[in-house]
Amino acid sequence: MTAREQYTPGPASVAQVRKDGEKWTLILVRELHHPPAKVWQALTDPAQLREWAPFDADGSLGTVGTRVKLTTVGAPTPHVTETTVTRADAPKALEYNWGGFDMRWQLEAIGGGTRLTLWTNIDRRFISMGAAGWHVCFDVLDHLLSGTPLGRIVGPEAMKFAGWQRLHAEYAKQFGVETPRG
Amino acid sequence: MKIKVASVYVDDQDKALRFYTEVLGFAKKADFSQGPFRWLTVASPEEPDGTELQLALNDNPAAKAYQQAMFQQGQPAAMLFTDDVKGDYERIKGRGAEFTMPPTDVTGSTIAVLNDSCGNRIQLTQLARRKTR
Repeated sequence: MTAREQYTPGPASVAQVRKDGEKWTLILVRELHHPPAKVWQALTDPAQLREWAPFDADGSLGTVGTRVKLTTVGAPTPHVTETTVTRADAPKALEYNWGGFDMRWQLEAIGGGTRLTLWTNIDRRFISMGAAGWHVCFDVLDHLLSGTPLGRIVGPEAMKFAGWQRLHAEYAKQFGVETPRG
Repeated sequence: MKIKVASVYVDDQDKALRFYTEVLGFAKKADFSQGPFRWLTVASPEEPDGTELQLALNDNPAAKAYQQAMFQQGQPAAMLFTDDVKGDYERIKGRGAEFTMPPTDVTGSTIAVLNDSCGNRIQLTQLARRKTR
């Protein structure tokens, strides 16, 4: 079996949901055994994003003011949106927008690694699915940075993996929301 | 091949879902998301497995430009068929929708046009041969 076939997500991490009326923000933290400069590259370089992120970028996200087209992977019809990078303080803080979701990344050096935090506003009905999806993305990112890439696992691909339903249900339980379809 | 889905761009999917269900009387059919993309469709309760109408978010500049231009030109973004355009006009108007054209006889049909409050004009059409009253 390949590493990808063997992959199963671990238990849900502690995640936060900040509720501001209808607007909910998902806050996810992942500690990576790689320095911020290396993580920064994976967050901004289109070639690396293609290996783990749920969207493709047609340019680098690493320069403030740049306009970049983001293509959602796995959407049931091609979904392309445009964003302007609003903050790019390498290798610490990155902000842009993905199709209406504010994306704010923070990279903190811890030991030789990085504590990576993502703030993203997701439609509240799909917030547990989003948390599970990002959880899998971060696993894949970790593998990529460690030089043992699994290949991107997003959208319907993620749902095929053993453990997806469990992971999704764990986040739903943690947030006190019902599990939507899928 | 079958024609299974038609789409209209909307400026707010939650608002659109309320309008197309509570005001027009359709039923939600599909609602799932992939990242920021939300696939949302409604269907007619008279034909639950019939053609669906996708309420697509106008979140790209081309969609916005197209939608606005069509609206300004007075062009309907979609056409719905009914057996009772006058009845539907009264019912939908009673629920607060604005009509830009009341039921009007034209060649081969009676039409009415309403504002869906999400950036579109929607035409109701009753074909003359299908008139029952």
